Amino acid sequence: MRESRFPIVMLGMALLFLVGPFVVVFISAFSGDRTLAFPPSSFSLQWFAKVLTVEAFQASFVTSMWLGVLSTLLALLMGIPVAYALARYQVPGAEVIRVILTSPLILPALVVGLALLRYFVLIGNNSISFGLLIGHTALLLPYAVRVVSASLANLSRDIEDAAHSLGANRLQTFFRVVLPNIRGGVAAAGVLAFITSFNQVPVSLFLTGPGVSTLPIQMLLYMEYTYDPTIAALSTLLILFSILFVLLTERLLGISKYV
Amino acid sequence: MRVWLGWLALVFVLSVGFAQQRTLTVSGFGLNQNLIDKNITRPFEARCNCKIVWEVGNNADRLAKLAARKDNPNVDVALLGDYFAQLAANQGLLERLDTSKLSNLNELYEFAKNPLGGNLAVAFTIYAISIAYRTDKITIPITSWRDLWRPELKGRIALPNITTTQGPPVVWLVNRAFGGTDTDVNPGFERLSALKANVVTYYNQSAQLAGLFAQEEVWAAPVGRFAWGNLLATGKPLAWARPSEGQAGVSNVAVLVKGSRNQELAYQFIDFIISREVQTAQANDLVDSPVNRNVRVAADKAAQLTYGLQQIASLRIVDPDYIVKVRDAWIQRWNREVAR
Amino acid sequence: MLSQSPARLAAWILLSPALLFVAVFFLPPVIALLLESFHVGQTYGLQNYLTFFADDFNREVYWRTLWISLLVTLVSALVCYPAAYAVLKINPRWRGLIIGLIILPLMTSPVARTYTWLVVLGREGIVNKSLVETGLLQEPLRILFTEWAVFIGLLQLMMPLMLLSLVSAMENLPKDVVPAARSLGASEGQVFWRVILPLTREGLVVGGTLVFTGCVTAYVTPALLGGPRVTMLATLLYQKAGVTVDYAAAAVISAVMLLTTLLVNFLLRGRAVKTARAA
Repeated sequence: MRESRFPIVMLGMALLFLVGPFVVVFISAFSGDRTLAFPPSSFSLQWFAKVLTVEAFQASFVTSMWLGVLSTLLALLMGIPVAYALARYQVPGAEVIRVILTSPLILPALVVGLALLRYFVLIGNNSISFGLLIGHTALLLPYAVRVVSASLANLSRDIEDAAHSLGANRLQTFFRVVLPNIRGGVAAAGVLAFITSFNQVPVSLFLTGPGVSTLPIQMLLYMEYTYDPTIAALSTLLILFSILFVLLTERLLGISKYV
Repeated sequence: MRVWLGWLALVFVLSVGFAQQRTLTVSGFGLNQNLIDKNITRPFEARCNCKIVWEVGNNADRLAKLAARKDNPNVDVALLGDYFAQLAANQGLLERLDTSKLSNLNELYEFAKNPLGGNLAVAFTIYAISIAYRTDKITIPITSWRDLWRPELKGRIALPNITTTQGPPVVWLVNRAFGGTDTDVNPGFERLSALKANVVTYYNQSAQLAGLFAQEEVWAAPVGRFAWGNLLATGKPLAWARPSEGQAGVSNVAVLVKGSRNQELAYQFIDFIISREVQTAQANDLVDSPVNRNVRVAADKAAQLTYGLQQIASLRIVDPDYIVKVRDAWIQRWNREVAR
Repeated sequence: MLSQSPARLAAWILLSPALLFVAVFFLPPVIALLLESFHVGQTYGLQNYLTFFADDFNREVYWRTLWISLLVTLVSALVCYPAAYAVLKINPRWRGLIIGLIILPLMTSPVARTYTWLVVLGREGIVNKSLVETGLLQEPLRILFTEWAVFIGLLQLMMPLMLLSLVSAMENLPKDVVPAARSLGASEGQVFWRVILPLTREGLVVGGTLVFTGCVTAYVTPALLGGPRVTMLATLLYQKAGVTVDYAAAAVISAVMLLTTLLVNFLLRGRAVKTARAA
């Protein structure tokens, strides 16, 4: 029977639709024109140079970086034990726990940001940075639990039982047997979490203040003020950064099977 | 080991040192921030040996933030449109200014010294609001606010959203142009509602207009004179209309936020931005039209600004108290009748 | 095997940091915000909701959000089903690259993704330019700042989610199901409707839920591509909370947004997950 061409055509169109605009951004980033016009009439690296000079981007890049690293670390520190507990123990009410821990994903991020601003920062009198950290960590926690759970599921219990029978206690077993074997899953979770935090917009939208702002928010603000390909250059850099980051960790730790 | 400790100690001391550098937080518009940094931020930081942190955005957003942080302000000085400052004053967010601390105050035009009364604010610029339009696409010059209703402009104009500074003054002027009064704004709203087909979008930031003009989305729009430099930079042939009903006028003022812990620096900053040097630099860069009477700029620059007492006197300035009174009702009417 | 009590204790020790974190730092502010929507003066009541929905502008915003989200979900399902099918039939060597291309948008901020449409959909953008130059149009179309621009932007944003869900669901199909159906004489259409669709229903539901709730809560795309004339729930929320400082309305919108997403999540996914688990 003849195979229909329909599916592959749809796939092609979908990919074009998804990736096409990125190509536009990529090309615009190298534009030699003064304002944004596509296709550009000439090419230059001027916008990349400009990106590096915008102070708002520098400051917010630093903020996004430490926020990403810190919230990822916190999410992993809290998430790995959870994944382990749920995988290895019979916990009563495991379903309820799962729901509570995944709630950050179900709640609209915008609402989370507003709630944290209103009650945590303004009424609770905490700093905006603290509020950002809470919001981001809460959002990353479910990812951490989910990915680490997946890799724990692939790790047979026998190895732990073997270590046990050789005299290792629970703690030793965890750090010297379990952790090294789920290293890939942890790394995958970390990468996913970091990138999610870095690109986060809705939670960070309300949680900005003088001197505290994340890079995507600054990009949004910048777009409202200036109409030139600077954002295209910045977007291109960020996309390359994300790709490189993922490829690097893939190379080093072989994480692709866990995503 | 000791070397490590030594480095650590050094880093610690240095970072503590930096942390103790005084910081002044200023809430500002963000438009032309690179020029503002050149003319104001960097010279001021050098002079006071302090650091300025900017919080930028449009008036409405920043006022909301000031109100939200009333009990624990994180901003020292705010630069706001006149009626927004009035709104802030009404909400008890401002500190009365001690004018003896502003050495440059006497160089300002009379209206700029105490624009809201009670020494709550000092104006640092005033600007006209009129219609900017493409001379190549609109060959018959625009000479009246009613010209925005021309059928050829279908789908080619942008209006300021009601929450922007230009919003209410434009509504007020349009209302007058169609025979309305301060108490009867029906003509204005009805006509604006009828204009929908001509409007591409209601802009929230005047900076968006540059993009809209550059991308050929828009051929005409009411806007403040402060955006003129940006609009010219798009390279499109533009003209500034002089409508028969007049141009609106709004001043931007500097206010001291109540509860600021940096009052010394705040006063120095306000004094700095009304000084002749800064006002001249800003004028020459087409950022803000000057209100300091000792400022002199070349004629060709002056033509792009709202410059000189004569021009200023010709502006139709809407009373900030009036706008404060009608704003909420106008926002409701706008959302319901116009921006749909 | 370890005995029960020390195991139980150990489990709770492991779970407590995360649970405490969510219960102490995260849930209280959100619950407080939702409670606020019921706060009328000194008492509690539904007044805020009534006021909110009495305003036809608000109703219009809610309705617009729902139908655009629904449309995006439908169109992405229609496009992604055949596309996912194609991914599975593609040479495995290319599959990694294709999946990478699909995941790529998810790794970038919605700001960057939406920005591209500003260029492409403008009156001087490529879409209009090509339509005009090939003579299909006399005058460029006004796409930006209309509901269609928001629709297109959201579709691009959400499609990877649908595509990945469907690919994942189809991968789990038993290998011989399709060839078996074919050998029994089923046409391509019948294979799809009576074999693939029922078996991958859970993937469709998961993808659909993600897409729909993603659209309902989207801020960047409606804000940049729609403007004030195409106000959606998220942009209305921002306006109420950040501009007009109407916290009662903001709380109501938050609750409405939450209820809408919860409803979709639990109604559809709850049922699909239960049937899958029972299977």
